[in-house]
Amino acid sequence: MRLYFEVARRSFRRVAAYRSAYVAGILTNAFFGALRSVVYIALFGSGATVVAGFTLQEAISYTWVTQALISIGAGWIDARDLMQTIRSGNVVADLMRPWSFFGYWLSRSLGERVFNVLMRSTLTYLIGVLYFGAYIPSLVQAGAFAVSLILALLVSFALQFLVNLSAFWLMDDTGVLLVVNSLLQVFSGFLIPLAFFPEPLELLARVLPFQAITGLPAQVFLGQLTGVALLQAWALQLFWVLVMGGSALALLRVAMQKVVIQGG
Amino acid sequence: MVRLYFLLIGARIRAQMQYKVSFLINLVGFMLLTGLEFGVVAVLLLRFGSVGGWSLYEVALLYGLTSLALGLAEMIGRGFDSPFEQMMVQGSFDSILVRPLGTLFQVFTSDFQLRRLGRCFQAIAVLVYALWNLPIVWSLANVVLLLLTIVAGTLIYLALFLIGATICFWTIKTPEVMNVLIFGGEEMTGYPLSIYSSWMRTLFLSVVPLGFVNYPTALWLLNRTDPYGLPAWLAWCSLLVALLFCGVAVAFWRLGVSHYTSTGS
Repeated sequence: MRLYFEVARRSFRRVAAYRSAYVAGILTNAFFGALRSVVYIALFGSGATVVAGFTLQEAISYTWVTQALISIGAGWIDARDLMQTIRSGNVVADLMRPWSFFGYWLSRSLGERVFNVLMRSTLTYLIGVLYFGAYIPSLVQAGAFAVSLILALLVSFALQFLVNLSAFWLMDDTGVLLVVNSLLQVFSGFLIPLAFFPEPLELLARVLPFQAITGLPAQVFLGQLTGVALLQAWALQLFWVLVMGGSALALLRVAMQKVVIQGG
Repeated sequence: MVRLYFLLIGARIRAQMQYKVSFLINLVGFMLLTGLEFGVVAVLLLRFGSVGGWSLYEVALLYGLTSLALGLAEMIGRGFDSPFEQMMVQGSFDSILVRPLGTLFQVFTSDFQLRRLGRCFQAIAVLVYALWNLPIVWSLANVVLLLLTIVAGTLIYLALFLIGATICFWTIKTPEVMNVLIFGGEEMTGYPLSIYSSWMRTLFLSVVPLGFVNYPTALWLLNRTDPYGLPAWLAWCSLLVALLFCGVAVAFWRLGVSHYTSTGS
């Protein structure tokens, strides 16, 4: 356990070191947050007060939450670190070490993302609060959100791990990434709340795993899910943690048995 | 020069066509991914009815124009993106300087991404959908205006790519703010300019003239008036503005080249 904690701590410090990178990231997310808020103001300007269960303030706050969560994989996943080790063959060294390969990458990802939550997400959302009056949750809601966020981090990691493992079989990753990221952006509720979708699309989104990463935590944050609905959301997220995490571990096992690692 | 351009670009395209499956996956991938952009706009407008008084079809016209311009610029101008950044990082821009051709021309021809047609196809589909459903009178003048605007929009995006590349002479890497301007600008111009605050409207009609990729032309074609009194004839100035902006970008490039110090190695 100590080992994984140290891995996470170093990963945390690594992202913290690139100050200009995360400042640029915050500004980018804030730009898009502001842009979409202005669009919502114009959309609600035509007279509607509540659309698909969202008031203007809720729609704006939702936009800022999803922008704030970008740095933890809410909008797209990247496939740089792990995939590169597979391509270069360096993955062999990591596999030989006396640790859990899955656990190593999980702690690396968590270390990085805990930093992102504390720094990037918080500051991005703060800009939304200051300039667009984004919603400030109560202490109870914040607590519920924290639980939901941890579950979201795990689902997001499992998805990213699965996509990265595809490098064991596929030479070209752009296709997989394009497809997965398109699905993630739409069906997670990252671009717009799932409640805005036409009914068939919304139903589809509700049975896919992606909403566990972005849509559900954002709704919990806004206090739209309370009581039984909140418990259901948590249960659904937990379900996807187990399914996606299990698939990731299973795929890793298959990869270990079947694949000849290149280079070296 | 023109012959040489097509010779170089032809070689790039033949090279990309060696990997046909990869090319097709990318083409379709870009079509879907950029299709989502309009999908979101359409879903929002179906829910809300209109944005700033503009209907779904009218917004589709705006979106189609800006997306097509960006797609074309990405296809022909990506040499200013990562290939140029690589030259900066590795110091291989040195070899560009000693060849008997203009630096701008060589960097411009260093890449040509045919797969970006994916975005162009999607944009054309949206544009056709919009024009089909809108009551626009197709006089010769209107057709000419539409074509001029597409050219102008492409030039404006190209100039932005060029400016992003030029900044590399000082920073080595293209700063993220350029991506915000280009892709944020594309999303922004997908909605009528009138919904934004006055400083944003001013900024995007003057310093970064992205507004000209579609807004004045859409006003003209749809017989609309801008609520802030933007004159209608401005539609015919798009190309002029684009050329001016390109001129600024090229001048900036010259300045950048004269500041170039190799990274060595």
